Amino acid sequence: MDTSIGSEYDSLREEIRSFLTANEDVAVPAGPGFGGDASQIRERTLEWQKRLFDAGYAGRTIPKRYGGAGHEPDALASLVIEDEFQNAGISLGMENQGTGMFVPTLLHFGREDQKQDLIRPTMRGELIWCQGYSEPGSGSDLASLRTSAVLDGDEYVINGQKIWTSGAREADMMFALIRTEADGGKHGGISYIVLSMDTPGLDVRPLMTMTGDASFNEVFFTDVRVPAMNVVGRPGQGWEVGTYTLRFERNMLGRSSTTENYLAGCVDILRETGLIDSPVYRDRLLKLEGRVQAMKYHQLRLLTDRLKKRDSGAGGLIVKLNSCQLNYDVCALAIDAMAERGVLKRGSKHVRDYGNWQRNYMYALGLIIGGGTAQIQKNIIGERGLGLPREPKPAAA
Amino acid sequence: MDFGLTQPQELLRDSIARFLAQDVGVERVRQVMDSESGRDAAIHGQLGDQGITGLLIDMDLGGSELGMQEAAIAAQEIGRAAAPVNFHSSYVLAPLLIAGADAGERRSALLEGIAEGRTLLTPILDAPIESGRVDGSVLYLPDATWADAFLLEDGGSLHLLDATTPGIDVEPLQTIDDTRRVAEVTFSNVDLGAAENLGGNADSTKRAVHAAQIALAADALGAAQKGLHIAVEYAKERKQFDRIIGSFQAVKHMCAEVLAEVEPVQSLLWHTADVWDDGSDEIDHLAPLLKAHATDVANHAVTMTTQVFGGIGFTHECDMHIFYKRAGYDRQMLGNPTALREEAAAVMYG
Repeated sequence: MDTSIGSEYDSLREEIRSFLTANEDVAVPAGPGFGGDASQIRERTLEWQKRLFDAGYAGRTIPKRYGGAGHEPDALASLVIEDEFQNAGISLGMENQGTGMFVPTLLHFGREDQKQDLIRPTMRGELIWCQGYSEPGSGSDLASLRTSAVLDGDEYVINGQKIWTSGAREADMMFALIRTEADGGKHGGISYIVLSMDTPGLDVRPLMTMTGDASFNEVFFTDVRVPAMNVVGRPGQGWEVGTYTLRFERNMLGRSSTTENYLAGCVDILRETGLIDSPVYRDRLLKLEGRVQAMKYHQLRLLTDRLKKRDSGAGGLIVKLNSCQLNYDVCALAIDAMAERGVLKRGSKHVRDYGNWQRNYMYALGLIIGGGTAQIQKNIIGERGLGLPREPKPAAA
Repeated sequence: MDFGLTQPQELLRDSIARFLAQDVGVERVRQVMDSESGRDAAIHGQLGDQGITGLLIDMDLGGSELGMQEAAIAAQEIGRAAAPVNFHSSYVLAPLLIAGADAGERRSALLEGIAEGRTLLTPILDAPIESGRVDGSVLYLPDATWADAFLLEDGGSLHLLDATTPGIDVEPLQTIDDTRRVAEVTFSNVDLGAAENLGGNADSTKRAVHAAQIALAADALGAAQKGLHIAVEYAKERKQFDRIIGSFQAVKHMCAEVLAEVEPVQSLLWHTADVWDDGSDEIDHLAPLLKAHATDVANHAVTMTTQVFGGIGFTHECDMHIFYKRAGYDRQMLGNPTALREEAAAVMYG
């Protein structure tokens, strides 16, 4: 078995290390230890994103004509980058709806002018995106969505409502699934449309989440007029375009280095509190260690499949389910180890790591639900991975 | 980067699986289970013919001189078939202990015998040796009832004691896993002079134990995968309330959860076997961590997949209990998960 990456990547490692040293002042730490004033965090995160993109560490394979570094897709280079950043404890930049989901989709389905206009500012954090998919009546059964548009000249007029829209108030743009083809059927009637959040008729109302952040929103559409040119792909192709994006979301929710960073932070707390010597805590820690290590090497197996252009089968379907639960359980141990201090939240005197442990604990629960609930993941694993039959449709009442 | 089995390793896995499916089917396994002795005398020679007993033995001694990855492949397939053999003890621990011995000719002869499936040894770690005498009872020894000889290990030194030596009493114990038997061996003040001193060292003993732990983890993984396989097959056929039960989310989700837990264990097993083969120190925490995690996952897996069968899963007739007990045996032998997690923690965190 060859888990080495090859000496041809040594120069890349060197290059990354010099980059990290040269940009020490702005580099955003990964893991639980980064926090503080929200606007300062935002400013520094955006600045870091610019530097990462300009240096070719974010959006590495984006062609030069769209402002990217234009590297060939190279899973090993990505691994080296992830590895070096993890060793340095530095964030690999914004992993959000725009960089992680919209840009890959646009590269695949977009028109040349759309790519020219939108990719570079998105990757540099100058255009922030939100995703308009879920609706009050369409969660797990997303294709039943009802927000619809009618064509009026060269504009779509959109009416309806989206929900669970993360970051809608901070976002400049939205990509949304909208029903445009009245006779297109459940999946074939949907289009993938991009629109500015300034468009008249859009009303964004924050939804406070259990973490205390108002990161979710409801977005209401009342006669929102959007140029028909703003469709990505063909009208009616939206389900294909939009689910292509969901694949990226499934990957985004399962980076094993994130979990490893949190487990390392958890060990720090156990050492500081002396609980590292408690047999009960040690047992819990080692149980997590076993799961984390197993997922770490599982990711290498999936990477190898990708390099060999081989289907990972059921192996690829389990990542989201396992990773989100694992992140949740790692945070739970850290919080337990803090005992009563574990109840403090961000802003409180005595709070550890800016309240990130509690925040991420709850946020991980949100991710267990979001991006296809754990239960939907189990349906997918059972049906696609194990070949078990689908639930029969209930007989019409 | 090429994480996973090589093509020759995949071929080896397929050929072992084919042999076991053909020659060590469930009827044969059940015969051994139902027999009083639990002995399948023929299997050792057959495994020898297939090269499975000599995977870790040098080529000039009749083995194939492969590594832990190959031994783990064999162990996993053996677990999947619930084959009546203590592979981790007879063909991993024993040959690796002897490989670390100094006594040249005797060492070669023993390894040749093991590679052929002709010599069956029961290793006894930390044997009750004091002032040149072996005295006391040792429990839970695999295959001790019909072993040719006992391989006594004491602080890294190895002593080979013929099973017919006067003063040795062997009493079979009844185990949950009828496919593999253990016994109690009582030494009544046996003079160590009756044994052959083979030399040896503590480092190679430690490595041999790690290897046996990896083999037990692989066996448990194979058993858990087979349990999931037969449960899923059943869930695709069995109907209740006019529906295939596998279409009920209650059943489907149990199977999906088991798959989600079991799949990453395969990756951790491959990695751990690879680290053993590389000879890196990391094995000191990885081998116990793997065995703890793999056998925990396997035991949870068989607990769930037994329930997929409903009432039939609780019967002797259904094969599920064979794999259930297999995982239970693997869990307890050479360190249970809790003890092994502590062992790993001591290495990692002091």
